[in-house]
Amino acid sequence: MYDALRAPRYNDDVVKKFVIATVFWGVVAFLVGVIIASQLAWPELNLGLSFTNFGRLRPVHTSAGIFAFGGSALLGTSFYVVQRTCRVRLFGGEAVANFVFWGYQFFLVMAALSYVMGFSQGQEYAEPEWHLDLWLTVVWVTYAVVFIGTIVKREEPHIYVANWFYMGFILTIAVLHLANNLAMPVSLFTAKSYNVASGVQNAMIQWWYGHNAVGFFLTAGFLGMMYYFIPKAADRPIYSYRLSIVHFWSLVFMYIWAGPHHLHWTALPDWTQTLGMAFSIMLWMPSWGGMINGMMTLSGAWDKLRTDPGLRFSVTAVGFYGMATFEGPVMSIRGVNALSHYTDWGIGHVHAGTLGWNAFITFGALYYLVPVLWKREGLYSKKLASWHFWISTLGIVFYITSMWVAGIMQGLMWRAYDALGFLQYSFAESVSAVHPYYVIRMLGGVLFLTGMLIMVYNLIQTVRSPVTERRAALAMAGT
Amino acid sequence: MEVETGDLVAGAIMLVAGLLGLILASGATDNEMYVFGLSLAAFAAVFVVGLIRRHYDKAEAHARGENRHV
Repeated sequence: MYDALRAPRYNDDVVKKFVIATVFWGVVAFLVGVIIASQLAWPELNLGLSFTNFGRLRPVHTSAGIFAFGGSALLGTSFYVVQRTCRVRLFGGEAVANFVFWGYQFFLVMAALSYVMGFSQGQEYAEPEWHLDLWLTVVWVTYAVVFIGTIVKREEPHIYVANWFYMGFILTIAVLHLANNLAMPVSLFTAKSYNVASGVQNAMIQWWYGHNAVGFFLTAGFLGMMYYFIPKAADRPIYSYRLSIVHFWSLVFMYIWAGPHHLHWTALPDWTQTLGMAFSIMLWMPSWGGMINGMMTLSGAWDKLRTDPGLRFSVTAVGFYGMATFEGPVMSIRGVNALSHYTDWGIGHVHAGTLGWNAFITFGALYYLVPVLWKREGLYSKKLASWHFWISTLGIVFYITSMWVAGIMQGLMWRAYDALGFLQYSFAESVSAVHPYYVIRMLGGVLFLTGMLIMVYNLIQTVRSPVTERRAALAMAGT
Repeated sequence: MEVETGDLVAGAIMLVAGLLGLILASGATDNEMYVFGLSLAAFAAVFVVGLIRRHYDKAEAHARGENRHV
């Protein structure tokens, strides 16, 4: 029997800090997203200033969304999950865990500042220059030591599957980060550096990194979150633990090969493109295996979707995960890619994943975690959480449908020829044609940001509400 | 009260980082490196002060017989 007196005292302070950072960066990411979406619809909003132009703000948005919002959620939940599933306190003590938190936040702030100042490696999702990359390496290695050290000293014989996904995320991101950021600085005192690889080799390494940032940061890590928080919120075991193990190994084996699909119809050798395409299509199966496992965990508990808005977020996230991981393999087919590549279809696809899957699974985890960490009876308002759900879902629908239409229209306009063999449309005509859809996309972003602000209010009020013990005492006293 | 190994490790990392920050800022040839170097030094100083503060908070809590400091 579980002995409460012998239960280890977990380091929840660092988890709380990561929760607060997640919420803060979420607002930043979505706000900057709305700003740059508005700039695309109305270019005057670049304001003619270097530090407010789209080129500098775009990496602020992507880094704030992926590494700041998503990263803080991943680091925080991984620390929460690993302690509880291993039944030990974090390895390394409080100071090292605090170093991981503050060191990571320092990296994020410095990276954002460097983009606004005009510094970038020019590598997508790997924009920070060499000195920031080195700092992140120190922080990440420390994070890996804390996480893996906690698993090594566990008091639970089994390593729960969520920890496998988190470990896959931590180790692969370390390798990807090191390989893709091998660069030679101009000097020790200069921020500018040049990548060791060039030309098509650089492109291949970049998209091996880029796609696996999606595969291991935005997928494996968040699957760790799914495998812990959905069973907890639903109060059910995972539908099939065996399937979760198959899901893990097949996913990590296949994802690592899929990068070349970002370079269809380029100077990359044909066989490499075909390899990337083949693995991308095969990847559909493990992805859907995981989706089914997440969904079916609710067997016998579907009614909870009506009463638990946090769980509703998590399960809808799994639905979006299934949708995005079907769309991805389809888009990786060379013939489809000929139409979709370089168009806004790609942007729509990415946001189906990031907003629908990553953000929603994070919202589900936050709605679960905040009352637990701050020892509150429950959320301040389930109704507000429900409003958040529907407003955000509507925002995603606006976003992805407008980008589908805009993207397919762009692709068709760019490939249209007239009877004499000339291009039928100029590029400027395709830009003009997508304007209404850019406005709809911006409105989708505004809805998503509104939902986020509702969540911020709800979580603040939850934290400000009386602690559970006091509430119980008040109830007993009849006040 | 003994100093925890984790405190020493984090303190040592920040000490090295802070000094490196000052060196980078001193020779910086562009704004980015200058801002980064100074920020790293300031961050390291604040972090180490925080470590010292937490150590004495813990020691005081320990002396009062509390097994958990705030």
